[in-house]
Amino acid sequence: MLFIDAAPRFLFFTGKGGVGKTSLACATAVHLAEAGRRVLLVSTDPASNVGQVFGVSLSNQITTVATVPRLSALEIDPKAAAQGYRDRIVGPVRGLLPDTVVAGIEEQLSGACTTEIAAFDEFTSLLTDPALLTQFEHVVFDTAPTGHTIRLLQLPGAWSQFLDSGKGDASCLGPLAGLDKQRDQYRHAVEALSDPLRTRLMLVARAQRGSLAEVARTHGELLAIGFSRQFLVVNGVLPVSESANDPYAAAIHGREQRALAELPDSLALLPRDSVPLKPFNLVGVDAVRALLSGQDQGASVPASTPAPLAVPPLAILVDEIAADGHGLVMVMGKGGVGKTTLAAAIAVELAARGLPVHLTTSDPAAHLTQTLLGAVDGLLVSSIDPHAETERYRQHVLATRGAGLDAEGRALLEEDLRSPCTEEIAVFQAFSRIVREAGTSFVVMDTAPTGHTLLLLDATGAYHREIARQLGNSGRRFVTPMMQLQDPHQTKVIIVTLAETTPVLEAAGLQADLRRAGIEPWAWVVNQSLAAAAPASPLLRARAESERPLVETVVRQHASRIAVVPMLAEEPVGDERLRRLASPTPHVATLEAPSA
Amino acid sequence: MSHIQIFDPALCCSAGVCGVEVDQALVSAATDVGWAQQRGAAIERFNLAQQPLAFALNPVVSGFLQRSGAEALPLVLVDGEVALAGRYPNRGELARWASLPGVTDLTVASGGCCGGSGCGCR
Repeated sequence: MLFIDAAPRFLFFTGKGGVGKTSLACATAVHLAEAGRRVLLVSTDPASNVGQVFGVSLSNQITTVATVPRLSALEIDPKAAAQGYRDRIVGPVRGLLPDTVVAGIEEQLSGACTTEIAAFDEFTSLLTDPALLTQFEHVVFDTAPTGHTIRLLQLPGAWSQFLDSGKGDASCLGPLAGLDKQRDQYRHAVEALSDPLRTRLMLVARAQRGSLAEVARTHGELLAIGFSRQFLVVNGVLPVSESANDPYAAAIHGREQRALAELPDSLALLPRDSVPLKPFNLVGVDAVRALLSGQDQGASVPASTPAPLAVPPLAILVDEIAADGHGLVMVMGKGGVGKTTLAAAIAVELAARGLPVHLTTSDPAAHLTQTLLGAVDGLLVSSIDPHAETERYRQHVLATRGAGLDAEGRALLEEDLRSPCTEEIAVFQAFSRIVREAGTSFVVMDTAPTGHTLLLLDATGAYHREIARQLGNSGRRFVTPMMQLQDPHQTKVIIVTLAETTPVLEAAGLQADLRRAGIEPWAWVVNQSLAAAAPASPLLRARAESERPLVETVVRQHASRIAVVPMLAEEPVGDERLRRLASPTPHVATLEAPSA
Repeated sequence: MSHIQIFDPALCCSAGVCGVEVDQALVSAATDVGWAQQRGAAIERFNLAQQPLAFALNPVVSGFLQRSGAEALPLVLVDGEVALAGRYPNRGELARWASLPGVTDLTVASGGCCGGSGCGCR
């Protein structure tokens, strides 16, 4: 493996949930420790089972791993870090300020960016503490800060002014106000990250076009902020040997190899490793060691074809959506779970039934747009490009609100417009324009604001409504986007996940966030299911079997409606293949109805 | 020189560019405060989302929040006493409170919601 050779001090693994970052980080740490190095493994995965893997109980304190000489580990729970951060700010005023005021402050501090920055704050010292750096030759992280976190820490001027004066009056530093580290420490941390001699970043992806496109974006973003030494690790590649007796496995293999052959240009230049798919999940040091060794340690392959999953196909959900005659369908989920593909599949299936449909995608590659444009009767396709929208919004604000400002005023406004909130707002505005159409036809979107964003925006909306009422601007009924999204007759939210531990947890987090905003997700879709495809290959059967407990968790704990979409043998592009996602497959059609 | 304190509602940033629509009043307030600071005025801004303790520990501000709630912010104190509530001060007001030398009354020119101290718009 290239990425382990001549390993520098800091190794970071980044990629979307479910690609195997934690497994690779564990395997790398074990490999280095067994090569005689003193290694610290740091996990911030919310689903972390690193403690379980090594048979030790971990906390946010460094703990020695007895089963692997020279290895120590610690776990940071990002949610707990964010909660601790909120408590530092809100705790002292609880009971002193009115409860409604306190609740408003807490919502301000409940966003993803707070969580991310609080977690980064927790591990900053690991990059800069001299005592620690003498104790360990390598520190392996199963996560990496995003470009957005690093940019916030680099905010020019505002940041130093903020720390010098102890007053947050400069700019968009909301998420940073409660941090207790010193500015020097952040600066040194960011320096360490951008030093190619000290830091190596592994972009972890699956051999799928969407997954590779996703890490290509991460690559560009982290390169732009100085994370210069990057490797590509393609995890879970299906070995050619599995193709022998299973046409489905052969097709998957072909699909993966094509995705790798057509690698985005920016990734093709990076050093690349391929880690083969294993039949087992990461449990025990032997399994961890086997991940990078090429041996199938203790592979347990089910002897017979397992009983199929008793869950309905996507077509059942489309039937219910179609029955309403119109409405907004929002497909939500973390990056890389297949939102765009599923939104397109639902839109194409609705259009094929003769219904008027508008599909809006934020897919920057817009490959669906190209494939579908004009190809499907009754289907209108449009695209929200986050970058273009943000730029348009920025220019619009500067041209209107900034018009009457002097030079210093403009400079202040421009600095605030560089904040990460700006993109969220800009995309939301584009989103709102399209949502208004949903009254008479179907609008299917693969993008949506989080519950947190909606709550913050609605707070502003409520304020504006109140003012309008006071000014006597009556007779006009205000409908905020929030009110529309909360109405189940107008909006159906579909949460997409993969049948893997981290993606299911992330999807559950998304659902909790929406519920906080009074929005009840309508259905869950488990995408790219091997179990639903009923493969014959022993390796794929073993993987399919590991999906079962996760699908059961979704049915029992999370979803009021569920559909499972099989992993297709071909990339689901083009209306014909997309319809196949929604339609019952021959295998699944034979299933009994769900018992729940 | 007088000490001016502005207690903001819970904002992500002081120009309010994070709202559904950028509030012109917030953009103007941010630049007016910057303008007055450049000329030597002592102005502090406190954001409810970032420094709630500053609100809770000041009896005037805390009492105001108990009575009128967060939606009645911003609140402006000059030397600890309420000078303005419910809207942001304009340059003329800031200049007067801070006794900025050589700045004449800009109240009318910068066109606040109604001019003068205290807002009679309701």
